[in-house]
Amino acid sequence: MEWVSGLLFLTVIVVLLAGFPVAFTLGGTALIFAGVGVATGAFNDALLTGLPNRIFGIMSNETLIAVPLFVFMGVMLERARIAEELLDTLSRLFGSLRGGLGISVTLVGMLLAASTGIVGATVVTMGLLSLPTMLKRGYSPDISAGTICASGTLGQIIPPSIILVMLGDVMTSSYQQAQLAMGVFSPKTVSVGDLFAGALIPGLLLVALYVGYIVVLALFRPDVMPAHERGPEDRVTVLAIVRALFPPLALIFAVLGSILAGLATPTEAAGVGGLGALLLAVVRGQLDRERLEDVMRATLRISSMVFMILIGASVFSLVFRGYGGDDAVHELLSGLPGGVFGAVLVVMIIMFLLGFVLDFIEITFVVVPIVGPVLLAMGLDPVWLGIMIAINLQTSFLTPPFGFALFYLRGVAPPEVSTGAIYRGVMPFVAIQVFALILLALFPELVTWLPGRIYGS
Amino acid sequence: MQAKGGQATIIDRLSELTGRLTAWLTLAMVLVTCLVVVLRYVFDIGFIWLQESVTWMHAVVFMLGAAYTLEHEEHVRVDVFYRRFGERGRAVVDLLGVVLFLLPLCGWIGWSSWDFVATSWRIGEASRESGGLPYPMVPLLKSVLVVMPAALALQGLSLGLRSFRALSLEPGGDR
Repeated sequence: MEWVSGLLFLTVIVVLLAGFPVAFTLGGTALIFAGVGVATGAFNDALLTGLPNRIFGIMSNETLIAVPLFVFMGVMLERARIAEELLDTLSRLFGSLRGGLGISVTLVGMLLAASTGIVGATVVTMGLLSLPTMLKRGYSPDISAGTICASGTLGQIIPPSIILVMLGDVMTSSYQQAQLAMGVFSPKTVSVGDLFAGALIPGLLLVALYVGYIVVLALFRPDVMPAHERGPEDRVTVLAIVRALFPPLALIFAVLGSILAGLATPTEAAGVGGLGALLLAVVRGQLDRERLEDVMRATLRISSMVFMILIGASVFSLVFRGYGGDDAVHELLSGLPGGVFGAVLVVMIIMFLLGFVLDFIEITFVVVPIVGPVLLAMGLDPVWLGIMIAINLQTSFLTPPFGFALFYLRGVAPPEVSTGAIYRGVMPFVAIQVFALILLALFPELVTWLPGRIYGS
Repeated sequence: MQAKGGQATIIDRLSELTGRLTAWLTLAMVLVTCLVVVLRYVFDIGFIWLQESVTWMHAVVFMLGAAYTLEHEEHVRVDVFYRRFGERGRAVVDLLGVVLFLLPLCGWIGWSSWDFVATSWRIGEASRESGGLPYPMVPLLKSVLVVMPAALALQGLSLGLRSFRALSLEPGGDR
């Protein structure tokens, strides 16, 4: 009955396109398939009765507690206008240089890493924040749109991001399954900390490549990103720079540093980061009761959204496995020509295409648990695979004509920024992403060196 | 979308209240996590029940927040086509989604969890760790497995009714 699992997968993708919330579509469709299977005797109903245990497992998962805490920190920083002030100061600092504003936007995108994990939200925030300024200062619509989409999605893969927390959790169990299947009885583990460490060099590499591209463009085509004449209103004091830059930087370095140094678990660091963001907002006079409640409610909604998808996805995978989907995927992937390379390539291409329809969260919870154990059993490094998946998906979100990020930027861009301009502007960044992916495929040490150094795996 | 084609129902108000109250737990999670960190790293003491209380609050937050999140239209949709549909198109999708997916899913989760929860109450389950959360907390948390689908189904009913009304009020028209 393995073909049923394939049918289930395709049905879910098609039904999702209708637009009913993902979490319930995933779970509901799978449930219908299971129901039909039970009625015809093709599905073992004992599998379904294990559901409460699975959900309670999600409720007691300690790794994922970091998600709401990081969301709290991210929403608090956003509502306290930390990013706005950061961009404002940076652009006054670098604005008189050719390409300076573009570079500022890239850096702010990088620092917004503690974002909510929803691609649309970050791109919209970055778009509202920086697009008007860039256009006003004579940046071409192409360049502005491209820079914003790329740096808005970049935050997703730079630690501490909640995407990496979720990916880390899924990789942990995939890795365990893979090693059990390989007959390894004292399995090695992989943690969220490993993924944070692994993402650091590739993330910074991407930032460097983006900045490099902007600098080169500024040198050869100054007309598309003119320098800004410094007026009296642009004067910026050292104190203002320190005030805008130091607190958020200190917060992010403290959170990330304590995790990477092995001093704190991601959950602990996220909790302290949340309190730090709260105090930062208080100090800046940006916090009253109304805004606090606003932050708490947004945190609640985002967490609930994420975890309902996880619950829906676990109903889906329960049924998918029940129909032997696991074995089917295993056979399919191990039968491919080109061995491990072929399998990774095919999975990456499929994920890239799914990225046109599904967000990071869904792919992490639905697709990675299916393909992860198979790929890891072929001997791949779990941290490397995780980072490759993350950058691959980020690329997918940027790729015209279906990329998520482009739709969302379109939504907040003024009419003089044509859709064609957005497509043209983002293409060089897509090329950079592909270049980075090839680089990481050729030199996996770029990912694995730092975690190995820190955690000695 | 929300509240278009009808006044806020009692169900919406119930979800709203639950969400607003539960949201305070997110702040509590942040503070208690920090307290755990300070106790551990500064005073070198740890309480398992304190640690477990964060897990407890976390679970309550996302489970009880589900209905509130639905009320606020923040459960992610693949909206490539959905946002181009007219009001009637969206109403059809929502009505079918509620009837075919949401209600059966909630029904199954709630029904299959009943024994799981009842057993926990009957045996007076406490935390497996010594020094963990005391008696009523674990069964209380497990009870969320029944409360969540009930609340979510109610909010789904509200969405379904609103969609149904949108469909029956203006036959043929898109506005």
